[in-house]
Amino acid sequence: MAVVSKANIVREDLLRVEGVTKIFDGAVKAVDNVSLTVASGEIFALLGGSGCGKSTLLRMLAGFETPTKGRIFLAGEDITDLPPYKRPINMMFQSYALFPHLNVWDNIAFGLRRDGLPNDQIAEQVEKMLGLVQLAKYAKRKPHQLSGGQQQRVALARSLAKRPKLLLLDEPLAALDKKLRETTQLELANIIEEVGVTCVLVTHDQEEAMTMASRIAVMSEGHFLQVGAPDEVYEMPNSRQVADFIGNVNIFDGVIDEDKADHVTVRSADCLHYVGHGISGHSGMNVGVALRPEKILLTKDQPASAYNWCEGEVTEIVYFGAHTTYHLKLASGKVIKAQALNNTRDLSYGLTWGDTAYAYWNERAMVVLTQ
Amino acid sequence: MNKVSSTLRKFIKGRYLVIGIPYVWLLMLALVPLLIVLKISLSEMESTSVSSMMDWTHGWPTVKLNFASYIFVATDALYYQTYISSLKYAVMTTVICMAIGYPFAYFMARSPKHIQPTLLMLIMLPFWTSFLLRIYAWKTLLVDNGVINNILMSLGVIHEPIAMMNTPFSLMIGMVYSYLPFMILPLYANLSKLDMRYLEAAADLGASPFKVFWLITVPLSKAGIVAGSMLVFIPAVGEYVIPELLGGPDTLMIGRVLWDEFFSNNDWPMASAVAVVMILLIMLPMAIYNKYQSEQMAVKV
Amino acid sequence: MNQTLSPKTIKWFSLGWMVAVYAFLYMPIVTLVIFSFNDSPLVTVWSHASFRWYKALMQDSDLISAVWLSLKIAFFSAIISVLFGTFTAFALNRYKRFNGRTLLSSMASMPLVMPDVIVGLSLLLMLVSLQHWLGYPDRGLFTILLGHALLGTAYATVVVTSRLREMDNKLDEAAMDLGCQPFQVFRLVTLPLLIPALVSAFLLTFTLSFDDVVLSSFLSGPGYSTMPMMIFSRARLGLNPTINAVATVTIIVVTIAVIASSFYTSYLERKRKREVAQAYSDSNN
Repeated sequence: MAVVSKANIVREDLLRVEGVTKIFDGAVKAVDNVSLTVASGEIFALLGGSGCGKSTLLRMLAGFETPTKGRIFLAGEDITDLPPYKRPINMMFQSYALFPHLNVWDNIAFGLRRDGLPNDQIAEQVEKMLGLVQLAKYAKRKPHQLSGGQQQRVALARSLAKRPKLLLLDEPLAALDKKLRETTQLELANIIEEVGVTCVLVTHDQEEAMTMASRIAVMSEGHFLQVGAPDEVYEMPNSRQVADFIGNVNIFDGVIDEDKADHVTVRSADCLHYVGHGISGHSGMNVGVALRPEKILLTKDQPASAYNWCEGEVTEIVYFGAHTTYHLKLASGKVIKAQALNNTRDLSYGLTWGDTAYAYWNERAMVVLTQ
Repeated sequence: MNKVSSTLRKFIKGRYLVIGIPYVWLLMLALVPLLIVLKISLSEMESTSVSSMMDWTHGWPTVKLNFASYIFVATDALYYQTYISSLKYAVMTTVICMAIGYPFAYFMARSPKHIQPTLLMLIMLPFWTSFLLRIYAWKTLLVDNGVINNILMSLGVIHEPIAMMNTPFSLMIGMVYSYLPFMILPLYANLSKLDMRYLEAAADLGASPFKVFWLITVPLSKAGIVAGSMLVFIPAVGEYVIPELLGGPDTLMIGRVLWDEFFSNNDWPMASAVAVVMILLIMLPMAIYNKYQSEQMAVKV
Repeated sequence: MNQTLSPKTIKWFSLGWMVAVYAFLYMPIVTLVIFSFNDSPLVTVWSHASFRWYKALMQDSDLISAVWLSLKIAFFSAIISVLFGTFTAFALNRYKRFNGRTLLSSMASMPLVMPDVIVGLSLLLMLVSLQHWLGYPDRGLFTILLGHALLGTAYATVVVTSRLREMDNKLDEAAMDLGCQPFQVFRLVTLPLLIPALVSAFLLTFTLSFDDVVLSSFLSGPGYSTMPMMIFSRARLGLNPTINAVATVTIIVVTIAVIASSFYTSYLERKRKREVAQAYSDSNN
């Protein structure tokens, strides 16, 4: 999506988190010495499975939890000890937390009223927000009289109404069904872009993180595994964990044969890899070679090249409609997955169960994982 | 660095207020009175007032404990027989309520969904009308020239009135009648949440309807069974009004003994000792219930 | 053996069981009402219908003043109970860890599990000791009120707690996030959502107070006789048709109130369901 390019634009830091740790009950380290900076205008995603600490980190930003160690700065000001109601930060809650006893209008006006603004200014801002999320004609409805997608937009309007310096999104799309999620995702991204607010987004859904965020932090067990733009994290994972968590991946265990400035070769049980870029390693080192299924091509004829192919037996063909995934059992017993786009109506390779097939790939398709 | 903001301090003050107010209220009205009962049970009656426990002899306070009331409770046949008969009637009430209430709650939970709120309301409705008046109503039904005897005699079923009033029978009728809703409600709450798929799965695996009931339904409704039993048993042990209005002179229950010691004999230490022993009797099933509940919680976590 | 139990047999059996239980529950109430219209001074022998005992009731000034006293005590004790019950429920639910939390929760459930005679005895002995030291309070309306308020606090705590438990903590957080200080959170979000629970706690504690005979007997002083105390002392002596008349009046009032409120809640429930369904079909078009 369009937002990807924004990562390159240099802006001043809005949020700075320095060495934050949160320990619950004196024992459980929910967040472990995390530091990060978010630039003004950025959409930053915290991505990870349940219990990885992403929600705790978000709740510390909102002020619902106090860090055990470390400081949090917003626009240069230390906000670590500020209670939630004193922070210029607003949150869009998971499953929205709309006040059931107030109608849409009053829900959006709720935060503005706490600031003691005059009524006409409140009205003006609420109308503006209603226009932004296109719910002007639903202003008098109670939350239960709205559909899930409408509720989500009210929640967004409510959290944007006070013009926060930082917007926190807690699993913004988790409560919607799959079909609605795609369109809502686009809408949400567009509104945020239009307002230009800086965002920290928490999600367990990698697609959501990739499409919405300009940068992603992959979290596990309380710390960051990798921080980078979506394409970086996907194409250049820095560890097996990240490669495994984001998307599907085949990992060949091997040993570095040849370590040159412009390429390396890695010998694994089933094939010899020629990687078309240098890495920081040395020959004889144990590494993993990560290869995404969509980067593998299949053929019935043995490739002529000395590198980057292997032979196997087709054990499974899984048809997904838009693409098909083939499982190939290699000589060592290892099973790899190859994905083929179904770009014609008959399946591309003409392979069937039990066939012998050859998998091959480009020298720029692989990532060498040294961790 | 460590400055606590003024709002945070206000927040902490609010916390003390919210906890402090109910604490003081309940200490004054719940805990302190029980401690006073304990204290008085260990004193003796001196003409019109209770003896003082503290005595200043030789310049030192000495505490005088008087176990006379407890010794009396433990040795006098009237007292321990009354405790035993109270427990007996409470157990009987619980068992009969279970026998009537379990099938009822089960059928209620299996009845069509749209009539269940009405059925539930019909169980709750008597609860909202005066308990005392309902017990009084049983008196008009059960006395020798009461409604039931009159009807039976006019139908020629009996020629002499059946003596039902002031017997263990009338007592049990009143007890079961009063406590049945307390058994039905937790059982219904539990059974109505029971996932029908478990029963279907058991039937699918070849269990007969009786086996399904015994092996699946009953174990899964254990929480309701325990809660219902406790809600019936505990208040039944200390019941006063029902035995007073429906029980006879020989259906002694401990609530009545306490009442008489206090109001008729004016023996406060004795009444207090009777109360303390009753509390100990009730605490045993309570402890079992609490242990069971915490085990349930542990299983869930 | 199970083949003999056809679904039809089971259906009839369950229907019969339920009818029998409802008959058992309602038989005394129905006879009470019927015989209140009996002309005979013998409660149990029907002569002919009349309003004789209702006239007697209207001239029974003792009983009428007892009813007023009971209503007064029930009203004020219900207010006090809901107030303290709400505080207790808040302390137990919003603050998960503080010294003496277990003590607070056991004190709050004490009146629920203790027999009334023990609660009455202990409160009376406490009040007597207090009077011994301070010369106050005398037994009467105030002491009955305290007893009923203690009992009511325990019940109100249960009602409010169950509502607080099902309420989403996120709503409080959202309010705080939008700029509410803790007390504002309570006033603007928690309290409005709690009102149905407070109403049912009020009705419950009112009924408990209006029904209580044991605590009142322990705690009342000379000249203060509540309606249940008066009914109890008359019922101990024997049967009295005026009691049937009082019973019928209260039963009719309560029945109408309960049925009306259950109709109202089911109406609200249905309306809500309709609106939710409407919202979804709207958004699909």
